[in-house]
Amino acid sequence: MEYSGSYLTFIADHLNQFFSYTSFANFTVGHFIMICIGLAFIYLAIAKEYEPLLLVPIGFGILVGNIAFTPGFQIGIYESGSVLNYLYFGVMQGIYPPLIFLGIGAMTDFSALISNPKLMLVGAAAQLGIFGAYAIALFLGFSPSEAGSIGIIGGADGPTAIFLASKLAPDLLGAIAISAYSYMALVPVIQPPVMRLLTTSKERLIRMKPPRAVSKTEKVMFPIIGLLLTAFIVPSGLPLLGMLFFGNLLKESTVTKRLADTAKGPLIDIVTILIGLTVGASTQATTFLTAKSVGIFVLGAASFIIATFGGVMFVKILNLFLKEGNKMNPLIGNAGVSAVPDSARVSQIVGLQYDKTNHLLMHAMGPNVAGVIGSAVAAGILLGFLA
Amino acid sequence: MKMLIKQFKQTGLLLCLLFAIHSGFSQSGSDLRINEVLVDNDSNYVDDFGQRSSWIEIFNTAYNNVNIGGMYLTNDPKNPTKYLIPKGDPMTIIPQRNYLVFFADNRTTRGILHLNFDLEHSDYLALYDVNGKTMIDEIRFMRQNPDISFGRLNDGSDEFGMLNKTTPKASNYTGTVVTAGEEFVKMDPYGLGMAVIAMSVVFMALILLYLVFKNTRRLYTIDLKKLFTKEKMLKDINETQDISGEVNAAISMALYLYRNELHDHEETVLTIKKVARTYSPWSSKIYGLRNPHR
Repeated sequence: MEYSGSYLTFIADHLNQFFSYTSFANFTVGHFIMICIGLAFIYLAIAKEYEPLLLVPIGFGILVGNIAFTPGFQIGIYESGSVLNYLYFGVMQGIYPPLIFLGIGAMTDFSALISNPKLMLVGAAAQLGIFGAYAIALFLGFSPSEAGSIGIIGGADGPTAIFLASKLAPDLLGAIAISAYSYMALVPVIQPPVMRLLTTSKERLIRMKPPRAVSKTEKVMFPIIGLLLTAFIVPSGLPLLGMLFFGNLLKESTVTKRLADTAKGPLIDIVTILIGLTVGASTQATTFLTAKSVGIFVLGAASFIIATFGGVMFVKILNLFLKEGNKMNPLIGNAGVSAVPDSARVSQIVGLQYDKTNHLLMHAMGPNVAGVIGSAVAAGILLGFLA
Repeated sequence: MKMLIKQFKQTGLLLCLLFAIHSGFSQSGSDLRINEVLVDNDSNYVDDFGQRSSWIEIFNTAYNNVNIGGMYLTNDPKNPTKYLIPKGDPMTIIPQRNYLVFFADNRTTRGILHLNFDLEHSDYLALYDVNGKTMIDEIRFMRQNPDISFGRLNDGSDEFGMLNKTTPKASNYTGTVVTAGEEFVKMDPYGLGMAVIAMSVVFMALILLYLVFKNTRRLYTIDLKKLFTKEKMLKDINETQDISGEVNAAISMALYLYRNELHDHEETVLTIKKVARTYSPWSSKIYGLRNPHR
C-alpha cells in the first residue's frame, strides 16, 4: 500500500511507532519500584556481600524482567516461545532445584551431623517456621496450596521453596522465590535478636564437647541410609532428597571425584545462574506487584522468626534432659533453618560475642545440614497433603 | 573358574535388565482400563463420518503414554483376538491419564478406531495384551437405555454403574472436584493439625536417622574375629578409635606445618643438573625460521 502523507509525516509516524515499542512508552511506576528493588539486591550483594552468588543473578534478573516492552514479540519471560520462557521452563517444571540439591549434596560434609546425631533433631525443630507460616497464611485467607508454598519459605531453602511453589502455586513462584532468597541473605540481620531474646547469658557460654572423628564408612553409609529412611517416609520429596544424597555419595565415595567436582562446580554454577536470573526476571511488575506479594514478604519474615524460635527453644528444652557436659549451646538452634552456611555462621558470630574462645561453627553445621534434609522432608509432606 | 563366574554374573545382570525392561512395558499395558461403554447411541456422540454407533472408551490410568497398538479388543470371551488394534499409528498412543474412544460399528473400512464387531447382542467386552493371551481388563454390562452409558463411576476405579452423563473422552466423574488441599483445610481450618502431623513426620524421619547413626558405628566397628579374643584387646581398640576431632585437627595442623617447613627448606637447596639435548632436525638451529640468510 502506498503511503499518502508527506515524507516528514511518514518519518514522524514511524518514529512515533518506534517510540511506542520502547520501554519508555510502556514504563509504569511498578516497573520503577521493581528496578529499585533489583538495584538494592545488587547493592546488598556487592557492597555488603549478602549471598552474592544468589542476589547478583536475581537482582540483575529483576532488572531484565522489568524492562517494559510491547507484548507479542516473544521477549518476556511469560511469553511462550521466548528465550527467557525456555529458560524459565526449568523453574516452572521444578528441574533446577533438584540439580542444585545435587551440587549441595556434593559440597556438604555431614561429619558434624554424624558425629553428634542429636543435632538432627534441632534441624527438625526449626521446621516449625514452615508450619507456623502455613497456619498464619491460612488465617490471612490464602488458599491451602498457596499457604503451603508460602510456609516453605521458613525452611530457608531457596531451591526447596521454588520446587514446592512450582508444584502448588506457580502463580506465586516469583514472590516466594524472591522472598526466600531475600530472607536467606538477611539471616545475619533477622536471627541474632531472636537468639539473644530467647537465651540467657549463662546458656550462651555453654561449651559443647568437640565432635569425634568420623570414619569414611560412616560418611559413605550416611547418604545411602539417609535416602532410604527419609524417602521411604516421604516419597514426594524424592527429587530433592534423592539428588541431595546422591551428590553426597559422589563426594564421600571418593571414587567419583570427577562427577562430584562437576556437581559441586560447573553444574551448580550453571543452574544457579539460570535459576537466579529467571526467578529475578519472573518478577515482572505487571504480574508481581500485588497485595499477595506484599503478604508473602511479611509471612516470609514471620516464618524465619518462628523457625529460629523453634530451633533455639528446642535446644533449651533438650538441655533439660541432658547431663552436664553433654548440654548444647542454644545459640546453635538457629542453624536448624537450612540457609547453609549462613545460619551456622550466625551461631559462630553471636557465640564469639559472648566468649571469644567458644567456636560454635562446627557444632552449628550439624543442625544446619539437618535443616536441609528437614526442609526437603517438609516439602514432601506439604506436597503429599496439598497437591 | 573365574571366567565362568564372571560370565554368570554378566548373564544374570543382563537377565535382570531384560526382566526390568519387560516388566516396565507390561506394567504400562496393564494400566489401561475399559472406562465407559455406550451401547444404544440414539442422539449421542458422533464419529468422524457423522454416524452414531456404540462406543467404548479406554482410559490410561498411568502417568506415562501407553501405546494400545497391537492389543486386542473383543466382545467374545472365546475369541480374545477378535479385533487387532493396528500398530504404528500415532492415534493408538494414549497420553497419560487420557482417553481413546473406539466405535463398535462393524465398519473397519472407516479407520482403525472402528471395530469389526458391534455391541447389539453383547454384554461383554475385554482388552487383551499384545500376546493375545494376557487379559488386561474385562467388563460385563447390562442392557442400557438409549444414551445412558455404563462405566466406572470414577476414571479407572473398580466401582461400576450407569453414568448420569455420557462423557466420551472426558472424566466419568462429573461432580465438583475438591482438591486434597481444600479437603484438608475443611477438616483443619487453622493449620494446627497440619503443623502437628507434619512436624511429627519430620521429627520421625530425622529421629530414625538419629537412631540409626547413633548405633551404626557400634555395628560396623564390631570385628568378628576379635569378638572371640580377650576382652581387654577390644577395650584397647575402642579407646584408640575414639579420637576427637580436635586431636585430628591438631595432628593435621602439625603435619601441615611440617610439610610447609620442609618445602621452605627445599627451596634453599641448589641443584645443578647436566642438561643433555639430543639432536633432532625439528629443534635444529640450522633449519630454524629465525636463522638469518647468508
